[in-house]
Amino acid sequence: MDELNNISRELSKIKKENPFKTPDQYFDNFSARLQMKLEAEKKIVPAQKNRIITFLKPALGLAASFALIFMLVYWPLKTYMPNRQANNTETEAYDMQYINMVEEIDENSFYSLLDEPNGSAELTDDDLESYLVANVSEYEMYNETKIN
Amino acid sequence: MDQDDRKLINDLKDENRKDLAFHTLVKIYQERLYWHIRKIVMNHEDADDILQNTFIKVWKSIGNFREESSLYTWLYRIATNESLTFINSNKRKSFVSMNETSEILMNNLESDPYFEGDEIQLKLQKAILKLPEKQRLVFNMKYFDEMKYEDMSKILDTSVGALKASYHHAAKKIEEYIKGIE
Repeated sequence: MDELNNISRELSKIKKENPFKTPDQYFDNFSARLQMKLEAEKKIVPAQKNRIITFLKPALGLAASFALIFMLVYWPLKTYMPNRQANNTETEAYDMQYINMVEEIDENSFYSLLDEPNGSAELTDDDLESYLVANVSEYEMYNETKIN
Repeated sequence: MDQDDRKLINDLKDENRKDLAFHTLVKIYQERLYWHIRKIVMNHEDADDILQNTFIKVWKSIGNFREESSLYTWLYRIATNESLTFINSNKRKSFVSMNETSEILMNNLESDPYFEGDEIQLKLQKAILKLPEKQRLVFNMKYFDEMKYEDMSKILDTSVGALKASYHHAAKKIEEYIKGIE
């Protein structure tokens, strides 16, 4: 306490008074001005819609955050690499089609396809039958039929 | 709580007598609350707005007043919160730091047409504005309003010991500031 008295020596030299003032008759008029503001406030009835919005605010905020993250991640990927996924799928489908075609034809048909790269050779039932006769034994065919 | 305050609160909670009781409440507390707010925001126009908002909040929430504290400390608490919310909201709007806020308040003080203190009073106010927010509040409430630490404790939600320490630090800093510029 002595220390506080010592450090307050300078403060005690200053006359303790309120250095601020207000406009004339401020406090006389304050109550009337407040009443006007209060009347205006009373007329404002909180709308039902506002209450619903207040209730839904957290959920809306969460949804907006997800949408924002989606836009920030998905949209740039889609914009700057539009064909990446499509290309991959197309390439895989094309490879599978090519492998199937090669597996299903006999050697002669295969070589004839190589000789005619621009041709539109199609695998016929006869081609398939001759490939099976040439490459698969009766036992293997029987087994495949039994399993299926 | 004294009998007058208890009667006033009962009248405020009674819809038939609320208007008249509120008018009485405003007349009793308007000056004290105004000076408390004015010393926080350092500007008459802002203090006027905050005082109106304080009373409107009182009007709206008097039904929730649980009478655990006195009416006086409850009103001071609302006025303090409104003032600090105003300052913090301005700080956020203009993206300024605490030091810059202090500078803005100091400019407000220097250009305030309703400041009529002499040079030493201006020095004292500048020294107070240099304090951290909590110490500034405590110093003003103790030094100018001569408020009891127990009441201050209820208004600021701080222990009496911590308030005494805050006042001690604040007074020391103000002394140093005044000595430094003499």
